[in-house]
Amino acid sequence: MEFGPILRSMRRNKVRYGLIVAEVALTLAIVANCVNMIRDSRRQMAIPSGFDDDNIIRVASRPFAPAFKEDGYLDNSLRQDMEVLRAIPGVKAVSNTRFLPWQGGGSSMETRVLGSKGEMLRNQVYNADEGTLDALGARLIEGRNFTREETASEALRMRQIFAKARPVGADGTPLEKTSQDIIISKAFGALLFPDGKALGKRLEDSDGDQYRIVGVIDRFYNPYGWPIHEYVMFFPSYSRNFVGGAGYLVRAEPGKKAAVMASIEKALVASNNGRSVQVQELTQIKERFQARTALLANILSILIVLLLFITSLGIVGLTVFSVNERTRQIGTRRALGAQRGDILRYFLLENWIVTTLGLALGILLAFGLNVALVSKVAGPRMEPGLVALGVLLLWVAGLAATFLPALRGARVAPAVATRNV
Amino acid sequence: MLFHNLRIAWKSLKRNRALSILIVTGIALGIAVSTTFATVRHSFAKDPIPTRSGVLYYVRLDSWDPLKPYPGADSTLPPTQVTYRDMTEIMKSDIPSRQGGMFKTALYVFPDAKIGQPFRETIRLCFSDFFPMFDVPFRYGSGWDKKADEGPEPVVVLSDEMNDKLFGGKNSVGKTVRISDRDFRVVGVLADWAPSVKIYDLTQNFIEKPEKIYMPFNFVKPMQLRTFGNSDGWGSSGGLSGFDGFLQSESCWIQMWVELPDKAAVSKYKDFLAAYVLDQKKHGRFQRPVNNRVSTVEEWMRDQRVVPPETTAMLIVSLLFLGVCAVNLVGLLLGKFLARSSEVGVRRALGASRADIFVQHVVECELIGVVGGAIGLALSVGALALLNQWLKTTQLRGDYFHLDIPMVLLSVGLSLAAGLAAGLYPAWRTCRLSPAVHLSLQ
Repeated sequence: MEFGPILRSMRRNKVRYGLIVAEVALTLAIVANCVNMIRDSRRQMAIPSGFDDDNIIRVASRPFAPAFKEDGYLDNSLRQDMEVLRAIPGVKAVSNTRFLPWQGGGSSMETRVLGSKGEMLRNQVYNADEGTLDALGARLIEGRNFTREETASEALRMRQIFAKARPVGADGTPLEKTSQDIIISKAFGALLFPDGKALGKRLEDSDGDQYRIVGVIDRFYNPYGWPIHEYVMFFPSYSRNFVGGAGYLVRAEPGKKAAVMASIEKALVASNNGRSVQVQELTQIKERFQARTALLANILSILIVLLLFITSLGIVGLTVFSVNERTRQIGTRRALGAQRGDILRYFLLENWIVTTLGLALGILLAFGLNVALVSKVAGPRMEPGLVALGVLLLWVAGLAATFLPALRGARVAPAVATRNV
Repeated sequence: MLFHNLRIAWKSLKRNRALSILIVTGIALGIAVSTTFATVRHSFAKDPIPTRSGVLYYVRLDSWDPLKPYPGADSTLPPTQVTYRDMTEIMKSDIPSRQGGMFKTALYVFPDAKIGQPFRETIRLCFSDFFPMFDVPFRYGSGWDKKADEGPEPVVVLSDEMNDKLFGGKNSVGKTVRISDRDFRVVGVLADWAPSVKIYDLTQNFIEKPEKIYMPFNFVKPMQLRTFGNSDGWGSSGGLSGFDGFLQSESCWIQMWVELPDKAAVSKYKDFLAAYVLDQKKHGRFQRPVNNRVSTVEEWMRDQRVVPPETTAMLIVSLLFLGVCAVNLVGLLLGKFLARSSEVGVRRALGASRADIFVQHVVECELIGVVGGAIGLALSVGALALLNQWLKTTQLRGDYFHLDIPMVLLSVGLSLAAGLAAGLYPAWRTCRLSPAVHLSLQ
């Protein structure tokens, strides 16, 4: 092998080779960190909600007719809306709930295991009816679902309790405590009861009001401003009022979503025109929520391509330069019996050495840049596997960029060596 | 002399077109990428209200749960908003030259039947000081006065967009708009107003455009208005329920701003808040350590992380990208210059000094920098337009990212710096070669 001559030649042209070493090193550092960020984005976006996102439609009814200010009218119109929605062909399940997945928030409260005196834990909290789990496509793994009768009677009971101020005791909390049945997520159950079953147990909130766990669902993930994405409690009730209106989740049978969506607004307004109706696909809400992450990943991918292009350009430039400068040397070597393959191998080896030096430096830089990014901007730690992948990629890119100019060098005829002497 | 050098440089670029295109493309890409991401970050980070940021302060009080801090990335910070009780109490201070709490809600607007169906609109409730505090520009009329705050009198200010929709863009001052269950008199119509971030409310989506309707804060009680922004609560309800219960509760849902004309007023106001909190402690509230914040616009933006961390990461990556382009350029220029060393030899033999050769080559590099920079700047205009288009689909605002003068200057500066940084060494190498060597290669 020609290690000796190559190293001697490199020592004479430190700057020129040094430049390529620096360029390759920087490129590896940037590419590895970009891929790391892309993977993190993709990972975030791929987290499943646990719901049948693709077939869910969100419907919002927002009343403006003054008749909606009356409780009885609101209840009737809610029942009527649900019937209208259920009657649309292709509808699999209908639910009235304030829960809307993928909007980047929701509502939350604090609870703890009843009598534990422990720290209050924050969880998401939404009303649900007998159709909510079905409409979401959530899977009940323990206990039971709410019934329609239960939802209606609980809604009424709690509304009466909270209609007026509740007398408080010496500790400032209401004297009479309420108790409601709830369905929670498996993850919340595991948080509350690290070593036992959650089903049948009771929780309490800051007022001492109680919650009995009657059902557990398999999976729940709804990104929230605070780190409580997987912790949820559903309580049986309807949710509707004059200011906020009423929200529905409708799950269509596979393939029927478009048809269902097309008929919802017309059907609801036809049954009551004292309100406006808004219909959205859940996938659209999800897309909007993830738009920034998706864009970041796309931009980083474009940057990687541009960067590899620039770096390959640099390597091509160096090799062309190297070949031009040594035309006569090549001729001499060829005249002395070297084969074309020898010449080609010489240039490929030279480039390989330079690239490898750059990559060695780049591995350090990649981790260094990652440490800087993590401390300054937050983000994922570098995975060593990605750096290894980057090294492979740049080795291939380096050899590919060298190949054509080196081939041109190998084609130099032995006669050239003598021409200018 | 400069002109002569430029002419030589231009000829040299034209001689090897393919190589020149490669060189210029490289630098143009570097400038395009770095200018684009510098502008993206700058769009979030710049002072959204330079005329007023010196005197405006955002007020926060730590009325949160004694058992644990307000949840959030930084646990030393108090809740982002204040309670209704605290707002009404601290607004009794006469230290601020202007002040006011605010929140947003959503109500139905009933337009003239000719114009269309009732529609729900986001509405900001604020005090009369809001308009002068944030330098809000008016097309017609003005904000309301203190008397209207107290009443509250049924007055509204419309954005120009809302005025277009409801009154066809005509001067609507004195006209009536029906909102929810009552009639409001228009007292002012805003001129076009779109601060880079919605500085007065950073608690939610702050790159949205400002609301289109403004009405006096004190309608909160008679109309029983709830916030459509965040409302953070903790602890026992204390048996309270209904709307009055909500107003009396520890829920934090109001954004509170004060205008303090000088440093003395700032420290006086801080003392006032500290005294207020100590007094409240006697009544059993505010059981956490005193942690009041009277934050400048800049501090408040930092606490709310207005600059998305990704944009900072992208800026760092894009500057490194420019670095790679510059290193790449050094290599290509070195090759280009040394390849025509014979020409330099002739010039040197004919009497050109080393300095002449050096300057000539540096000028050529700068020419490459400028041409590449100009193309890069044009590319970044296109890239920003694409980003705006994307933003429009997700945020309904398509005018967010645009090059301003500081960013254009930055771009030009980066181009010149990249050209110089990449050109110095090749130019030096070229001028150092002795004429004899150049000529002997012929």
